Amino acid sequence: MTAKKESLLRLVVVLTAIALVAGLALTGVYALTKDPIETAQAAKKQEALNKVLPGFKGEIRDITVQDNDGEDILVHLAVNPDGSLFGAGVETYTKKAFAGRFDLMVGFDMTGTILNTEVIKAGETPGLGDKINKDKSDFALQFSNRNPQDFKLIVKKDGGDVDAITAATISSRAYCDAVQRAYDVFMKVKEDYHE
Amino acid sequence: MNKLLNVSGSPHVHSDDTVQKIMWSVVVALIPAFVVSVFYFGLPVIILTAVSVGCCVLFEYLIQRFMLKQTPTVSDGSAVVTGMLLAFNVPANLPIWMMVVGAIVAIGIAKMPFGGLGHNPFNPALVARVFLLIAFPVAMTTWPVPTPIWSFGADVVTGPTPLGILKEGANVEMPTYMNMLIGQMGGSFGEVSAIALLIGAIFLLWKRIITWHIPVAFILTVFVVAGIFWLVDPTQYANPFFHLLTGGLILGACFMATDMVTSPTSPVGMLIFGCGCGLLTIIIRLFGAYPEGVSFSILLMNALVPLINRWFVPKTFAK
Amino acid sequence: MSKIKILTKGFFKENPSLILVLGMCPTLAVTTSVNNALGMGAATTFVLLMSNIIISLLKNVIPDKVRIPCFIVIIATFVSMVDLIIQGFVPALSESLGVFIPLIVVNCIVLGRAEAFASKNTVFDSILDGLGMGIGFTISLVLIAAVREVLGAGSFMGWQFIPADYNILIFVLAPGAFLVLGFIMALVRHCVNRVEEKRKSKMCATK
Repeated sequence: MTAKKESLLRLVVVLTAIALVAGLALTGVYALTKDPIETAQAAKKQEALNKVLPGFKGEIRDITVQDNDGEDILVHLAVNPDGSLFGAGVETYTKKAFAGRFDLMVGFDMTGTILNTEVIKAGETPGLGDKINKDKSDFALQFSNRNPQDFKLIVKKDGGDVDAITAATISSRAYCDAVQRAYDVFMKVKEDYHE
Repeated sequence: MNKLLNVSGSPHVHSDDTVQKIMWSVVVALIPAFVVSVFYFGLPVIILTAVSVGCCVLFEYLIQRFMLKQTPTVSDGSAVVTGMLLAFNVPANLPIWMMVVGAIVAIGIAKMPFGGLGHNPFNPALVARVFLLIAFPVAMTTWPVPTPIWSFGADVVTGPTPLGILKEGANVEMPTYMNMLIGQMGGSFGEVSAIALLIGAIFLLWKRIITWHIPVAFILTVFVVAGIFWLVDPTQYANPFFHLLTGGLILGACFMATDMVTSPTSPVGMLIFGCGCGLLTIIIRLFGAYPEGVSFSILLMNALVPLINRWFVPKTFAK
Repeated sequence: MSKIKILTKGFFKENPSLILVLGMCPTLAVTTSVNNALGMGAATTFVLLMSNIIISLLKNVIPDKVRIPCFIVIIATFVSMVDLIIQGFVPALSESLGVFIPLIVVNCIVLGRAEAFASKNTVFDSILDGLGMGIGFTISLVLIAAVREVLGAGSFMGWQFIPADYNILIFVLAPGAFLVLGFIMALVRHCVNRVEEKRKSKMCATK
């Protein structure tokens, strides 16, 4: 009886001790890496923002807006020193991608013209859908400096103005869907900001 | 050497069919479709078929002679059939080096590693076709528009296949049913002409090289299931005749699914195999990411053949 | 067993992924490029080494009944550390390896070595074993990744030397991983068997 109790106690003590030491060690590493991780993530976001809002050097204010499907979209408002809006970087997404979903950042100026688009996270098929990335093909470049008012964000096959990627119509359509979503959200934000 | 037909269960009926005889009959049966392809797509068809057949035979010879150190058995003609079927499953404007890669895959991955003719669980030509489709998705889905041979010298124009139009909803006119029947539509060059393929299939049935079970079960399943969807909502789903005449259905059902090595041995097994192929094909066509599903469905059902053979053992004479 | 043998057995003769067929998930998933394979190999080797050291040190303290939870806690701690460090200092690698770094926790190689070797042997032997297995794992990952990257993306360690038109895409996709793994497994086993046979015939000759 006592032997069993002792051994049970030992099991608990040893496992607790190991977990405690492990927890302490992890806390240490977490404290050490917390700043570098945050810096790395901020740098990544900043880099994407710089790409979609070329030339902007002012303050960035983050707000969340709901899109038409009720999903939260992060909008980085680019505010000029005098308080007026320069434009915004919109973190948009699509669920019509070949791999389900991908995330883009789209930059707009106040006229609603697309300044630039940038893939944040995508898992499209290598060699086909991954041509949405700028280092793989020029597909994404056609959106830059176009205003969706006179540039229909639909692939040419469906009657729009966008040249689709050969053999990757689904990814091309998804890209258009994401940019259109960003545009809708931005127009909403722009109105609200004036009010 | 290995001239005996591979039989998996009793009864071991003796017949004077040799592997050679069977294989050459299949080659003969493929000739009508080949002629139609040459008519519509011209010289590239001849070149691609020659390259594919030549490479399949060559690789089989080299592997048997130098890697396995066996006596080569390429004269049985099975590599010729694989080469022809593989070539029939690619667009006519495929670069030649890709055709060579396909031949390497068919022989070097799908056939010889499993032990050569009679031991491969999957149809080598189809494995190679699916490999090429995933490896070169752009080249394998850019189809030249068929132009009769007398319009020689015209630029090669590419266009979608009827099934591709269906899936992607492009603003292109569908070919008429007559054109689908004779083969004037986009597609892999061997699959376009339903009539020529059916002539070949009838020849094989007459020669008793294939039985009716698999092709009929396969095609009928596609027809019935497509028909049900069409009756439910004709605006969203295509008419069942369209599904019969487009894509690789006839080629797959008559020449690929009936491959003796990779299909069940008993009639009931064959019917189940055919129905499974048909069902998977129509599911992929209607709901899958790819416009066409014949090759995938046959390969998937190939994987089930050992199981089907186990459930439906051919009856022995004694019973 | 000699000390050298403890180290080198993991390279080929008992290679964790090619002979023991352990850790298939990272072997198939992250071998799309040689850089990924090296990063994954290094991370796994580090975890193997550290968990082997700690477990062999604690082997007399840990009661038999709770040894598996103890091993898992120790392994998970080191994996989390590696994950945090990579996220902080090599963000690009963390992005391309993604979820597969945290998944080292459930890699059978790590737990397998803890259970089969480190919990029964001295610290020094466990260090050699962990290093050897880690290097063996890295070798197999790099072998597979080299074939896949060269054929599928036309590059080696990111250096492109075959134009994109001549890439065989299937090799960077999942089916290519299975094909390449199968052929490399067959090749390595063939070579290992051949070496064994030679050694045996030599032994017979000397006898």
